[in-house]
Amino acid sequence: MTTPYPGLTPSHRTRALFKWLALLGAATFGLGLLFARQRALSSFLLLNIGFLGMGLGAAFFIALQYVCGAHWAVALRRVPEAMCGILPWAALGILITILVGRSLYPWTEEHATGMKGVILSYPFVLGRTVVFLGIWLLLVRALVHGSRLQDDTGDASLSESNVRLSAVFLVVFGLTFWVAVFDWVMSLEPEWYSTMYGVYHFAGLFLGAIAAIIILVVWLSRVGPLRSVLTAEHLHDLGKLLFGFSTFWMYIWFSEYMLIWYADFPEETAHFVRRLTGGWGPLFVANMVVTWLIPFFILLPKPVKRNPDMLVRVACMILFGRWLDLYLLIYPAAVGHETVTFGVLELGMALGAPGLFMLVFVRAYRACAPVPIADPLLNASLSHHQ
Amino acid sequence: MSSKTNRRFLLGVFEREEDLLVATDAARTRGFDIADVYTPYAVHGLDKAMGLRASRLPWVCFALGLAGATFKVWFEFWTSAVDWPINVGGKPWNSLPAFVPITFEVMVLFAGLSTVAAFLLGRGLLPGRRAKLAFPGVTDNKFALVLEETDASFDVDEVSAMLRGFGVTHIEERVDQEPL
Repeated sequence: MTTPYPGLTPSHRTRALFKWLALLGAATFGLGLLFARQRALSSFLLLNIGFLGMGLGAAFFIALQYVCGAHWAVALRRVPEAMCGILPWAALGILITILVGRSLYPWTEEHATGMKGVILSYPFVLGRTVVFLGIWLLLVRALVHGSRLQDDTGDASLSESNVRLSAVFLVVFGLTFWVAVFDWVMSLEPEWYSTMYGVYHFAGLFLGAIAAIIILVVWLSRVGPLRSVLTAEHLHDLGKLLFGFSTFWMYIWFSEYMLIWYADFPEETAHFVRRLTGGWGPLFVANMVVTWLIPFFILLPKPVKRNPDMLVRVACMILFGRWLDLYLLIYPAAVGHETVTFGVLELGMALGAPGLFMLVFVRAYRACAPVPIADPLLNASLSHHQ
Repeated sequence: MSSKTNRRFLLGVFEREEDLLVATDAARTRGFDIADVYTPYAVHGLDKAMGLRASRLPWVCFALGLAGATFKVWFEFWTSAVDWPINVGGKPWNSLPAFVPITFEVMVLFAGLSTVAAFLLGRGLLPGRRAKLAFPGVTDNKFALVLEETDASFDVDEVSAMLRGFGVTHIEERVDQEPL
């Protein structure tokens, strides 16, 4: 099928960069498993939760657009759709972590008692993991498939069936995601619990996905496929979302912190004490500064949200903040809170993640037309204005 | 320009917002002086078509929001740590996390109310101001474009012909001190 939109053909150098980064990450992970197993597994969990956030965040973005009947982002929809391509990899990574990384989870050794013992029993956790990952993969796959099929058939009823599918996905995602992060991340400290934990992870997940969408659409508008598509109007709306969800993340962060600070129960404050002592304090503050404080003031004026260069810089800062946030959630619990552990292993794997992500993204993006050419809302999206 | 001087205006009334948008855009690109445009609701893209400069209201919003937040932090510090310290749950007098929610609320209140107040003051919309309509129905279903006849080169027949090309339903000339 011919389209007026050029396909994505990254230069040889760009592809080589992604490949070498991914190889670097894989090599450091392999060596890490041999020499510093706990750190390697913790980093592996961190990056796979990050990948999961990218995939589910992108799917959430698509689903939200469908159920709202929003037209503005239709022309850019292939970007979040291709981001969903990382989901099977993230699912595999999380499954491997649960199967191989039992040493991360104290409850696999010292069993809890009562209801908590039932919820944190290994077969039950493994079963939930498989079910959640399976349902998400099936729903997201169907959503992306429906959108791609429309390119060939031009059938407008596919939009309607995707609206229904999106509604199902949103409900299922909302009911399962918080349990999943309880199982995979919060249970690293099984004696600590917070009812804000699920929504806190959701805030970070969607924020990270918006930041990635911004970087990718700007990149694609520079290298070809979205050159005649992406306008300052689209960027303005994406910038507003980035601004809004950066603030939403901070709001949820503070809501969790303040309730625990106020009540001052030792078993609850332990979580924050571990992250404020032993050299973690500056990172704890830096997390808020790079994810919210600086982005908030930079993104306030309207012209910044319409400027691709500025928006990409802020998005990069927020993605770094996402890594730092997950690092602060996982490392003090799984590796040790007495000292800050960061070395070649963490750096190598963190650099490998964007390499692998981009390899998967480019492959998924090239699998179909760069713009949903048969979507009934495409023209409205192309001429979108505030 | 002295406020006593009478000015000449040409008023064109449209039935559809699309017609108004293209007519306004054409008037601006042809260099006519757009005195004002009256619509029953906010029309997207009209600010661009009129060539309006960016509003300064966001600055009022930002400055007063910041002032409100600063004032509230100081006030809470003064009430709970200086003027009448009360021991609440053994917390220090000056407990910043406890001040945050109210600081946030007061910031939003100051920012919101001051923006509305600045808008009303800036437009002179004080209590007792009588409503004057540019044309009956501009608060209902009509759209009015008001051009000012700034110099002799403004040819009323030519401009009227142009507006008719955009589907104008009514044209009239006015002589007044202000567009309204």
